Amino acid sequence: MVDFAKLGQEIKYSLSKVTDLESLSECRIKYLGKKGKISLLMKELANLSGEDRKKQAEILNTLKNQTLSLIEDKTEELNDKNLNEKLSSETLDVTLPVSSSLGSIHPITQVIEEVVTIFGDLDFYVAEGPEVETDYNNFTALNTSEHHPARQMHDTFYVETQTDNMQNVLRTHTSPVQIRSMLEHKPPIRLIAPGKTFRCDNDQTHSPMFHQVEGLVIDQESNMSHLKGCLEIFLKTFFETDKVKMRFRPSHFPFTEPSAEVDIGYTKKGNQLVIGEGDDWLEILGCGMVHPKVLQNVNIDPSSFQGYAFGMGIERLAMLKYGISDLRTFFECDLRWNKHYGFSPLNFPSLIRDLS
Amino acid sequence: MKFTYSWLKEHLETEHQFNEVVDKLTAIGLEVESVQDTGLAYRDFIVGQVLEEEKHPNADKLKLCKVDIGREKVDVVCGAPNVTKGMKVVYAPVGSVIPVNQMKIKAAKIRGVESYGMMCSEYELGISNEHDGIISLEQDKEVGSSFADSSGMNDILIEIGITPNRQDCLGVLGVARDLAAAGVGKLKNREFKTEKGSFESPIKIEIQDNDICPAFAGSYIKNVKNVASPDWLQKKLKSIGLRPISALVDITNYVMFDQNRPLHVYDADKVKGKIIVRSAQDGESFKALDEKTYDLKKGMCTITDEEKVLGLGGIMGGESTGCNFDTINVLLESALFDNVNTARTGRDLSILSDARYRFERGIDPRSTLEGIHYATQLILEICGGECSEIVLAGQISETLNTIHISGKNIVKRLGLEITDDEIILILNSLGFGAKKSGEGIHCTIPSWRQDIHGEADISEEIIRIKGYENIPTSNIRAISKVNKDILNSTQKIISKAKHFIASEGYNEFITFSFSDSKKSIFFGEVEKLKIINPISEDLDILRPSLIPNLLASIKKNTARGIDSLSIFEAGSQYSSTTPEDQINSICGVKYGLSNSKTWRSEKKEFDIFDVKNDLLNVVNYLVPGNKKISISDEAPSWYHPGRSGKIILNKKIEIGYFGELHPRIANKFKIKTRVNLFELIIDNVPLTEKKTTNKPQLILSDFQSVTRDFAFILDKDIKSSDLIKAALNVDTKIIKSAEIFDLFEDKSLGEDKKSMAIKVVLQSEEKTLDENDINSLSSKIVEAIEKSTSGTVRS
Repeated sequence: MVDFAKLGQEIKYSLSKVTDLESLSECRIKYLGKKGKISLLMKELANLSGEDRKKQAEILNTLKNQTLSLIEDKTEELNDKNLNEKLSSETLDVTLPVSSSLGSIHPITQVIEEVVTIFGDLDFYVAEGPEVETDYNNFTALNTSEHHPARQMHDTFYVETQTDNMQNVLRTHTSPVQIRSMLEHKPPIRLIAPGKTFRCDNDQTHSPMFHQVEGLVIDQESNMSHLKGCLEIFLKTFFETDKVKMRFRPSHFPFTEPSAEVDIGYTKKGNQLVIGEGDDWLEILGCGMVHPKVLQNVNIDPSSFQGYAFGMGIERLAMLKYGISDLRTFFECDLRWNKHYGFSPLNFPSLIRDLS
Repeated sequence: MKFTYSWLKEHLETEHQFNEVVDKLTAIGLEVESVQDTGLAYRDFIVGQVLEEEKHPNADKLKLCKVDIGREKVDVVCGAPNVTKGMKVVYAPVGSVIPVNQMKIKAAKIRGVESYGMMCSEYELGISNEHDGIISLEQDKEVGSSFADSSGMNDILIEIGITPNRQDCLGVLGVARDLAAAGVGKLKNREFKTEKGSFESPIKIEIQDNDICPAFAGSYIKNVKNVASPDWLQKKLKSIGLRPISALVDITNYVMFDQNRPLHVYDADKVKGKIIVRSAQDGESFKALDEKTYDLKKGMCTITDEEKVLGLGGIMGGESTGCNFDTINVLLESALFDNVNTARTGRDLSILSDARYRFERGIDPRSTLEGIHYATQLILEICGGECSEIVLAGQISETLNTIHISGKNIVKRLGLEITDDEIILILNSLGFGAKKSGEGIHCTIPSWRQDIHGEADISEEIIRIKGYENIPTSNIRAISKVNKDILNSTQKIISKAKHFIASEGYNEFITFSFSDSKKSIFFGEVEKLKIINPISEDLDILRPSLIPNLLASIKKNTARGIDSLSIFEAGSQYSSTTPEDQINSICGVKYGLSNSKTWRSEKKEFDIFDVKNDLLNVVNYLVPGNKKISISDEAPSWYHPGRSGKIILNKKIEIGYFGELHPRIANKFKIKTRVNLFELIIDNVPLTEKKTTNKPQLILSDFQSVTRDFAFILDKDIKSSDLIKAALNVDTKIIKSAEIFDLFEDKSLGEDKKSMAIKVVLQSEEKTLDENDINSLSSKIVEAIEKSTSGTVRS
């Protein structure tokens, strides 16, 4: 008669000594393999009869099941042990550097896109004109005759071609786009015209090339209160604060009457300008009601139509909003500057998501 | 324009605070640019009196003085030669700061003797260059009083910006008039005697061209004594930064800055015969008061006598008839000159003068006689003498311009409710004669307002005085929509392209639209792009291409240690300087390392396939849907002839170029390593006229796909595109793709040979391909490639 209890203890002991999957497999074969101890005992059952057979079969089955369960536990234990060993050998230095491959969008592009987004929402389309302009479009049509003192303030660049016997110029402002657009479209007109402008001036606070955005609204009703409403929405949206304070001051542009300059309130905190707080004023744009002579020059009847125009410097907007202190750095092409002040290419200004 | 607050108050009676006055200036369009308390620098200085004066025991040139400064008597060592007993002086106490050099006065021993404080010269106070002696004040100054107060130095200098339309405010009087209209005070009526004149002027005046000089008034004053101007006049001129010269000259300057009336004074004894105002003749020249000689041209307005040119009308007087301290008889001129002609002459001769500035903006015609009377009076008072009757050539229009306006139109323009009565009130306060007339308002325009021509100008006057802050704010969203599209197709393309290219690693640069002709000759016809007045020699043309400025930036960045540069610019380039010849383009440059050596990769330099990839990607992004893209090796001349290509869309549109910069150009820009770049010609990107939102139908096969690789030995000049084309053409339905996956060159393959391997994907939409199908297609592919390339398959 086999001592099942002893066999059970032997199996337990053998399994407890197993330390790897290979010897576990050997162990399994030793007891449960075709010629394993338990399997052989199972075969011997056939020689028994009656009650003995039934009794022994029961005991053997229990022993077999116990062994299977022990092996299963051991397998799991060894797998766990192996995995832990593997994990500890696979540790990486996660502080090793990685790099980004995105480039950047220039702040001028960003600001123009912001401006277009805001005015687009207000139903202004984006008009354009060439950077080389006729003297007529740049000055005369804008009520600035050849000897108007305002011309001298413009420091105009001239090129060698002529139109109607007048030297062509690099446009000194985006206002000639008004003329081109009004000749092309009948009122109602509502447009903005961002673009490059040029003045023969180069020092700390002037660049020979800079950017402006022009705005023009012509219809039968738009007046100075609409101009004020329009700019208020723009400035609040652009500077992303409802606190923007605006001040209109009388000024003069030959192509608007009345004319105004607009200041916004700010304060200086450390090196930063804070828009919307404080009592200091900063000039930000020029505007006014389109001069009746300008309308006449583009064959629009000033007794039926009127409207307003405004113009502002993109660099100035960018400097104020993004804390860029030097105008000239915009065009210096220093990669470090572009990476610092530039914007993610995945950032499209939006009034639904974020403007900036 | 600069003036002092005390000068303003000579014209303006006001009880308003200084700050209110200053704020009002800005509010009515006379923008205050700066306010400077001129008394501040003299705050600590006291009027003192020298009680005793004796020689310094240890120094010959120094004196020991006892000075009474009111509150005490102090010892001061002084080196001034003019110090005398009883003299009233400007005393700088210990602790005060000398304006001219910011030196702080300390108690000190000078050659062994204690000295407390200092007695000052005009130079030390920054009043003039006089430093030979200390200031000797008038005896009536009170000892111990503030020097700034007692000598009128305690003032405030105000500088305002005058817009070109506001010629009427180029004199202190005009500024006061505007302030009075805006309700901050009353304009003082300054009365002065008008001397009749006791004789007829010996110098006659003749105007030959009334268009350039409508009127010329002269006053002959004999037996004057030209002296240094009296204190009050000198102080006035100095207060606004002018240098007093002599009474005669100072008086004309004073009247100009006070009344906005330019005048000129001639030494009458140097005038030969009569004064003739005429257009200059070509070839004439003239030496002006600035000691420069100017060549005159026909049309310029000259004041001449019977021998020579005396002056340029409205711009500058001449040296030949200038006044000095020996002058005895003078002719005073007060004239009207045409503004356009004055502007043209001034610009042609590059003369900037206070007179030109005023005449080209327009001068009140009525000031002609008022000004000459006032200045004559001042000359008689200061220099003595006897004046002639005023002689007037030409005509000063007596009638004032009038316009008829409608209150309704003003309201419509301003968006502000304002009654006709209030409009009339404002206009009259500004000196307009305004009164109701029928449905509207009839306005007489004051002679000093040369800028008022129409209703729009009147509306500005109304709102200027009423206050811009009173304009309400209206909602513009209430007005119905007028535009269908905000951006046009090209604008959308540029915006999308910029963002896409930046997402490929490029940083957007914006460079000047100008460029250096010497470095741009490779890219276009620079002689067609010249700027007449460039800002500098190396920015002398409009750029023919975006490339040269980007190349210039490479050098700058590598000098700062940057070894990997991916940059692009989107902008205009020009083929000529006419408005039509502006081309939209984008240029991307990859230079240096694509990968630096890192802990997980070797360093790698950019090559043309990087930029080709980027360009193709952006073209695919900008031109979605079905299209045919082909690549040829014919790029423009600024590319490396063997390492460049162009992308052709739908067999005919040249949409872009890519490649390596021609080494000769790189050399010119002093760039030593290879530059890879692409150009995308925005204007050639096809605009989808009618955008469909539907995408083409997608057919996906459910049958298994099979991949087969083939390698060929080919002549070196065979292009990969030839292989791919040949393979794809075998069966356009079943062959889904063909790609080059290996390229290998070795002498073992034979001279000028290479090996290229192609991976072909086969998939039917009808069935699973069996061994026969695959083998048959494979041999057809081999056959086709061998035939089209004369190559042989490698087994």
